[in-house]
Amino acid sequence: MSEEQRANALLPTNEDTCGPYFPIYFGDDSLEDLTRIHSGVVAGASGQHIILRGRVLDRHGNLAHGVVMEFWQANAMGIYRTPGTEGHPDIDPWFSGYGRLRSHSGEYSFCTIMPGPAPGRAPNITVTLFSDGINRIVTQLFFADHPANDGDPLLLGLDPEDRDRLMARRDGTAAAGAEIYRFDIVMAGDNETPFFDDLES
Amino acid sequence: MTKLGRQLGIGPTDNTSDQRTPRKRLRLIPEAVRESFVPVVPARAVTRQYEWDMTRISPDLPRADGDAIEVSGTLRTADGKPVRGALLEIWNANHYGRYRHVEDHSGLKLDENFFGMGRVLTDYDGTYRFWTISPGAYLARPDIGRWRPKHIHLSISGGPVRLITQMYFPDEPNNATDPMAILMGDAFGRNMGKPYATPDIDVDQGYRFDIVAGGRNATFFE
Ligand SMILES: [Fe+2]
Repeated sequence: MSEEQRANALLPTNEDTCGPYFPIYFGDDSLEDLTRIHSGVVAGASGQHIILRGRVLDRHGNLAHGVVMEFWQANAMGIYRTPGTEGHPDIDPWFSGYGRLRSHSGEYSFCTIMPGPAPGRAPNITVTLFSDGINRIVTQLFFADHPANDGDPLLLGLDPEDRDRLMARRDGTAAAGAEIYRFDIVMAGDNETPFFDDLES
Repeated sequence: MTKLGRQLGIGPTDNTSDQRTPRKRLRLIPEAVRESFVPVVPARAVTRQYEWDMTRISPDLPRADGDAIEVSGTLRTADGKPVRGALLEIWNANHYGRYRHVEDHSGLKLDENFFGMGRVLTDYDGTYRFWTISPGAYLARPDIGRWRPKHIHLSISGGPVRLITQMYFPDEPNNATDPMAILMGDAFGRNMGKPYATPDIDVDQGYRFDIVAGGRNATFFE
């Protein structure tokens, strides 16, 4: 935004907590499993199926029940589906890259495909958290032992402990061949996950 | 240049906020990776035909208890552009302050004619409209007698626009002590519905709520 645009900008509506009662009714299976469109449809995303599993924890190490998690990632070819990539030959028509779930207990499981590395990046998934008591917070997870992690500009800006806190770790293979990764989020406290500021950045 | 962003505030008297608010300052995002932090929510037209009228469960069933209200307004980005085809997911407590949610254990009265959840899409001009029942306030902290003021939850998603917010009602006695309202400070007024008369439609009161999606994400691809 230019200075003039900034001066004329409308004042934003305040974000607010989603509270404890984000409707489970608004859940959508197709946003909790991005590998397929629907069980009755012969179509699905290209790429290695993965299952992300983990816990969202509060300052005392207790599960953060009722959190809403949103996921955003590139497709297997490393392409994000945005207005900027419209018409790109490597767009996967069966993969939007956006997922959402609400966890009753604070434990979660999300089925997707392994994102490809976007140019200059290590494979990653952006995670947005909404919960009672807070407004939207956002972070990005990576895959431990991926060679591109060493050159990722986001990871390079973090100290080693924080880098470690953003690593999803391999935890076996599911029966259907999906690779399982574990990623815990600590919302606050000693082992706090690094969160990023998309308003001031 | 500092590498640190905002320090998030903790809502006073809000235990969950104390448990869940990050204590470290947020980190700034390097420009080289900034675009990857702009989720683009695909178009999801998951609304049902009658969901815009939350004052009754369906057109063939009676009105729920309490005052029927209309909420309408526009959804725009900070540069004034209307946001078209965005999904508004709406939920609010019934007249007695109770949600039809399996985790609401308040014991307050359920209203057999009130569902309390609905979805609408913004139209070509970024405008939206829905009807609901004016929600009851509810006691959020019985131990200290703190109430949540009347409010309607709205989760808004469409392209790079993504926010969850609440609309409040003017002159409510509990507005001033609400933890999130306190954190908003002077900006709290932006989240206030503005009453209008509704002589020609079958509701008791209208509230205008113009929503502005701020932040760089909302306009990133313009
Ligand atoms: Fe609420």
